[in-house]
Amino acid sequence: MKQFLIRFLITSCLSVFLFSCSLITTKNLIKQTPTEQFVYNPYFNNQTIDYIYKAKIKLAKNNFGGLLIIKKIKEKQHRVVFTTEFGNKIFDFEFINNDFKVNFILDKLNRKIVINALKKDFQLLVKEQNKVMNQFSNKENVIYQSKLNKKDNYYFHENKQLRKIVMTSKKKEKVSIYFDKITNKIAKKVVIKHHNFKMTLNLEYIN
Amino acid sequence: MLKNIYLVSLLLFLSITINAQKKLNNSDAQKIREQIIKKSTSTNTIASDFVQFKHLSFLDKDIESSGKLFFKEPNLIKWQYEIPFKYSVVFKNDKLFINDDGTKSDIDLSSNKAFKSLNSLIVKSVKGDMFDEEKFDVTYFKDKRDNYLITFTSKEASLKSFIGKFELIFHKNNLDVLQIKMIESSEDYTKIVFKNQKNNEAISDSVFNN
Repeated sequence: MKQFLIRFLITSCLSVFLFSCSLITTKNLIKQTPTEQFVYNPYFNNQTIDYIYKAKIKLAKNNFGGLLIIKKIKEKQHRVVFTTEFGNKIFDFEFINNDFKVNFILDKLNRKIVINALKKDFQLLVKEQNKVMNQFSNKENVIYQSKLNKKDNYYFHENKQLRKIVMTSKKKEKVSIYFDKITNKIAKKVVIKHHNFKMTLNLEYIN
Repeated sequence: MLKNIYLVSLLLFLSITINAQKKLNNSDAQKIREQIIKKSTSTNTIASDFVQFKHLSFLDKDIESSGKLFFKEPNLIKWQYEIPFKYSVVFKNDKLFINDDGTKSDIDLSSNKAFKSLNSLIVKSVKGDMFDEEKFDVTYFKDKRDNYLITFTSKEASLKSFIGKFELIFHKNNLDVLQIKMIESSEDYTKIVFKNQKNNEAISDSVFNN
């Protein structure tokens, strides 16, 4: 009896330990030898397209709306601008390679913590080419693991189409980006969901 | 000879561009200002269609949206966007009531001074009554269609940070506001063009329940 109890305790402790340490994103995935050197996000890479989205942001119980405008200006250079429906700018960012520039942000939002959070989300959204560190698969998906700003990013592909990016720390999922209604390399529906606080950004393509 | 033709055509071109926007002299400016204020005080309601163009220098095309505007004295205003998305916003009692394709929310503006002053400016610009010399440097022109183009350059730093200049175009005869252009310090702008404007027709209060 005592032996059973000890065994039980060890197993449960171990499983709690294992569970808390294992990242849910890679659970049940089979690790493979990488077949690709880079993973690509094709949804914002056409310089001739103005990517305009109607945005709905849900932060806890509050709702905000606006327009999210994304434009690839040059090779490896994106402009990401958020305006109200009226056209007033809320912020205007520029991503150049791995550099980042704030062209404008409303005074009220001009705080390092806000800017950094926005920067991380949108950099992940528009970054085109990422080096593959690891590769996984399951029944439906091929998953490429990449790294950006010390975070791991998992790119989920279904039928060779990018459908989801999950940004994680070592233990936890931080942000998921879902791409849906994909036509001609345009994701007409994009959802950015934060896991560590209640914020969801819903984007519907309007252009 | 060729040089002369070039010079003459250059001069001609310059005079045309200068003529496209002719500054009014002080007495004409004063006269038009009084007429606009008079018209503005006698306007109790406005209903109009509008087309909005958001110009961002790095885009290939302006972002176009359109809908309906309703205004009722003293300060009820509703912008109802219909294309390409359904979104309406009502300014009422220091609050913004938003209906974003069915998702409703409201924002209290009483604590948000900058937004409140922007809102009051929007109400004033729709009515055409923005002649506040403390807030703006006002300049009067006639445009190429002989309509009045009046520019209001922000003096206040808080407003300047998001809209540096307002440009309003008034119809040469009836002085309706034909167009509002809000120009940011970056030179990007929002242009709103009004069509089918109807003044002083009854508008029910229920229009402003959003």
